[in-house]
Amino acid sequence: MLCEECNVRPAEVTITTVIGGEKTVRHLCRDCMKKYQNGDISSLMAAILSSMTPRKTENAETDAVCPNCGMHISQFRKSGVLGCAECYQAFKEELRPLFTRIQGRTQHAGRRPPASPEEQERIRKMEELRKKLEDAVQAEEYEMAARFRDELKELQQSKVQEAEPGSAAIKDVQKEEGKDA
Amino acid sequence: MHNEHPIILSSRVRLARNLQDIPFRTRMTPEQADNCIERVLAVLRDETDIYHYYPMRGIKENLRQKMVESHQISPDLFKNDDLGAALVRNDEKVVLMVNEEDHLRIQGFGPGLDLPAAAQAAYETEDALQRKLNFAFDEQWGYLTACPTNTGTGMRASVMLHLPMLALLKQMGKVTQLAAKVGLTIRGIYGEGSEALGHVYQLSNQVTLGRTENEIIEAVTAVAGQIESMEKNCREKAWEKDPLSFEDQLERSMGLMCFARKMAVKEFFVHWSNLRVASAMGKTGVPLSVCDMLLKKAQRAHLLAEAGKELSEKEIDARRSDMLRSTLSIYH
Repeated sequence: MLCEECNVRPAEVTITTVIGGEKTVRHLCRDCMKKYQNGDISSLMAAILSSMTPRKTENAETDAVCPNCGMHISQFRKSGVLGCAECYQAFKEELRPLFTRIQGRTQHAGRRPPASPEEQERIRKMEELRKKLEDAVQAEEYEMAARFRDELKELQQSKVQEAEPGSAAIKDVQKEEGKDA
Repeated sequence: MHNEHPIILSSRVRLARNLQDIPFRTRMTPEQADNCIERVLAVLRDETDIYHYYPMRGIKENLRQKMVESHQISPDLFKNDDLGAALVRNDEKVVLMVNEEDHLRIQGFGPGLDLPAAAQAAYETEDALQRKLNFAFDEQWGYLTACPTNTGTGMRASVMLHLPMLALLKQMGKVTQLAAKVGLTIRGIYGEGSEALGHVYQLSNQVTLGRTENEIIEAVTAVAGQIESMEKNCREKAWEKDPLSFEDQLERSMGLMCFARKMAVKEFFVHWSNLRVASAMGKTGVPLSVCDMLLKKAQRAHLLAEAGKELSEKEIDARRSDMLRSTLSIYH
């Protein structure tokens, strides 16, 4: 059996890794084993990824491309490094099993960016409208309540547009930079 | 702090972050790299904390090397001398690397074993930046990074440990296994792919996705504590078994550092390691803080900066000995 990392030397060592209950078995030669021991995890990760990819005989069309930066999935398999934030979306199918293997989990937990000033304002307005809606219902002013409900719906839907990349926060900073210069 | 943790030198937390609208380093243009630096500078300029700016292409190679020796920047940023930059907060508790593998590597530092303090320092700068910049973030994957090994929290929490006895007794394999069981890894003194010079190792988390920052910090802190007691036990046993040989070895190193006329860096690391053991066990009057200062000051770029001129290899080795002699003379 050939080493799964270099595909040149015979595999002499078997490594079993268990991360988050997910077991991975790798057969490596002594040289690649050394790389692994040195913590050269990105090359190991690239090896895991290449072992998961379709066989050559299947089809060449599986070489997906990121529409934003032009990176091919085959380039990622070699380097283990992605080209841009959009690559996560473009290579979603390939990345999911990879994350399961190297990270053990596929859902982020922890810190997150704060809401932008626009988003904070939207949330504040929505809370205000919810209160107004409640008051209107209690006062049995149904016409007004319907208007508040529609406004609330509109605000809720506007979140989808806000999630687009390159939002106002960065543009503001660029403007400020212009002022400084 | 040092007295509480004679085996743990320092703690560091780094957060990997990328700007949403600029490609990652391998796909970015030099203009985009500059733009990335400018945006970060624009935000930090408005902060009350003062940051010192070190563009990699604008500073001397020796200063960059000195920053590597001080663990402020990675060897990777050192090599990226055209696009990279570093920003050092006035108190040196926060150092940002710009255009390393990710657009931003925000690092917080603390002495001894104190990852929460190091994390807090990094969060302060992250918060300031995040108020004005859009970092690449996804509800499922968390913070998006160039390498999927950092995705999620983008956090690498690491502690630097001095483990000479575990290394001598060939226990490092066992220590590595212990760490690997809970998703942690052990590397050499300068991180990935580096040697454990002076028996200094870095323990850090491998997994960054699906765990909160606090979970990561707790895991590293717990294992660091376990390794610390293993090393302590080994030292005490070695002392009990043969105090004469143990003390002889430590004193010889002290003697060489006090009286040699020239010392190569590899030899220095051997004797430094013995000196730090002696200091941690109270067998010498040299305080741990002085030992840790020597670790920086005895390295090449620090000696060259101190000399302020080019030196031959022999002259560097002589300077190293001069520095050691003058620093240690008051303790013997």
